[in-house]
Amino acid sequence: MSYSWNWAVFLSPTPSGDATYLGWLLQGLQWTLLLSLGAWVIAFFLGTLLGVLRTVPNRWLSRLAAAYVEAFRNVPLLVQLFTWYFVIPELLPRPWGDAIKQTDPLTQQFLAALLCLGCFTAARVCEQVRAGLGSLPRGQRAAGLALGLTLPQTYRYVLLPGALRLILPPLTSEFLNIFKNSAVASTIGLIELSRQSQQLVDYTAQAYEAFIAVTLMYVLINVAVMLGMRWLEHRTRIPGTIGGK
Amino acid sequence: MSMIKIEQVSKWYGAFQVLADCTTHVNKGEVVVVCGPSGSGKSTLIRCVNGLEAIQQGNIIVNGIALADPKTNLSKLRSHVGMVFQNFELFPHMSVTDNLTIGQIRVLGRSEEEAQARGLKMLERVGLKAQAAKYPGALSGGQQQRVAIARALAMDPICMLFDEPTSALDPEMVNEVLDVMVELATEGMTMMCVTHEMGFARKVADRVIFMDHGRIVEDAAKSDFFGTPRSERAQLFLSKILQH
Amino acid sequence: MYEFDFSSILGALPILGHGMLVTLEITLTAIVVGIVWGTLLALARLSAIRPLAWLAAGYVNLFRAVPLVMVILWFYLIVPALLSDVLGVAAGSDIRMVSALVAFALFESAYYAEIIRAGVQSVPKGQVNAAYALGMPYSLTMRLVVLPQAFRNMLPLLLTQAIILFQDTSLVYVIGLADFFGAAYKVGDRDGRLVELVLFAGAVYFVLCFGASLLVRQLQKRFAT
Repeated sequence: MSYSWNWAVFLSPTPSGDATYLGWLLQGLQWTLLLSLGAWVIAFFLGTLLGVLRTVPNRWLSRLAAAYVEAFRNVPLLVQLFTWYFVIPELLPRPWGDAIKQTDPLTQQFLAALLCLGCFTAARVCEQVRAGLGSLPRGQRAAGLALGLTLPQTYRYVLLPGALRLILPPLTSEFLNIFKNSAVASTIGLIELSRQSQQLVDYTAQAYEAFIAVTLMYVLINVAVMLGMRWLEHRTRIPGTIGGK
Repeated sequence: MSMIKIEQVSKWYGAFQVLADCTTHVNKGEVVVVCGPSGSGKSTLIRCVNGLEAIQQGNIIVNGIALADPKTNLSKLRSHVGMVFQNFELFPHMSVTDNLTIGQIRVLGRSEEEAQARGLKMLERVGLKAQAAKYPGALSGGQQQRVAIARALAMDPICMLFDEPTSALDPEMVNEVLDVMVELATEGMTMMCVTHEMGFARKVADRVIFMDHGRIVEDAAKSDFFGTPRSERAQLFLSKILQH
Repeated sequence: MYEFDFSSILGALPILGHGMLVTLEITLTAIVVGIVWGTLLALARLSAIRPLAWLAAGYVNLFRAVPLVMVILWFYLIVPALLSDVLGVAAGSDIRMVSALVAFALFESAYYAEIIRAGVQSVPKGQVNAAYALGMPYSLTMRLVVLPQAFRNMLPLLLTQAIILFQDTSLVYVIGLADFFGAAYKVGDRDGRLVELVLFAGAVYFVLCFGASLLVRQLQKRFAT
């Protein structure tokens, strides 16, 4: 192969002189983490709310949540991202749209990616929560209500704690997916990890080193999340169940 | 004075009628046993008493409060009516103590100390004070059901509903639960029990209701029911059950 | 209020149609290769030969830990080099398409492998024992007894993964390949009607994917035991 390896490229300064190429990658990692964690906060709370709505007696609320899930599940993530970034500013009332278009590009890109990833993942979290609530014994809801707890109280103290423990593994999957899906934000120019890897290739022609480094970083994120999940599972175990104290 | 009044209650699941024109009552301090073959609607009937199941026709009045009245606060009503389920339904992610206190704190507004004190008192009453810190998964079925009874009692209910409380228990644990229920009855608690345990009925019941295909076929004083049941179906049912 | 103008769509239908063909080509190739290679990977993971199981697990875990965007970029980098340096073939004009096909096929195989592995494990062990007792060797047991049952169990999941795959092909945008969405973007950009074209593309995807998911649900009801 006529390729010359140069691992030292990471320590070489960038053209602008203020950072090394490794610094660029770390900056990308930082934006990836920020974007993913922020989107997860949105996805978790919105998704749990939607999952609850899918199981309440009110048919209209249940259908509303179902419609949300279908809308966000049947359109590719990339198309959703472009909708948030290009389309929505145009469809908002003039003054709002202009205000958005005048903020600095990084903020625009980050916000669009954050909302896009958050809402996209919320649909998936919704389905997990719904499945979790559905697999609880039916008597739990009756027992909560029979004590005199209102339906919201029953969800809060009885049903959700049970359901969330059950769906910890698939929720972890969704959490990992956010980190992977964050790479799509590179298409609108957000300087997250995969975009920085492309930048590195453009500037240094050391493509293999760049890609290997970035791939390793994604794998490390993966490992960190899996370890975190195992710790969380351990912390929230119900004594007396399989794997309990 | 009628604690529970069930007047001409009918209920349908879609086109299928599960309860047909049921009328009965439970007086204060009375123990009423509801029995009948599977599918007779007895569990459904008792679940209608605290509004867990809705009815399409008729009235249910608990302690003078009509369930169907729009002004009725259903949650408040339920907090005064204790219910014990066939599958115990303790909350698995909470300790025994937390199971006992959650209703008191969140519904009755008691302080944590008060709720714990009351909860432990009820726990002692059912003979399980030592299990206070354990989780339901670590308890046997009989123990779980007794905790469930304590949980209901901790709310200081005006009456107790039992939905086949011993049907899910292994035979050797049935008695420990029935003993608690007998004690409750002799202390004067108003009780409505769906059960197959005719021994229990003979001991403490004031009246026995026999249901079949959604109808109340017999509603008689204990001595009449066991002595000379009027309907053929009740006779048949009794003969099958009492063989054991 | 934004003034919508959907007129460019009509004239652009040929370009959009061609884009859809690209999407479908990638989707179908990835499904076929994904299932075949995925089945082999699944069986390798479940095999008693330790190194084989270990390698298969490594493959699956690696591809599932990395974003699809990175995989597409990787193969866009590797495939031309591979073709010229290793195979001595000149990189044709269709290099984007070829690298995308390779990337998707290898990537989706990892996901299919997990689905199929779960499917194989869901077939009761007694079935395998019965087949062995009849004297069937491993390959015959897998082919005639286990895999047919596994696939029937996993059919809804396999189809759902296919729908996800169909949506994922839009990511070839990152290497400048014009699939359906890429074509829509190009037209929108060219005519200054990006809003309309993005919304149009979204609507088309929605109709196709929602329709497909309804079919899968019907299928599930038919096969429900």
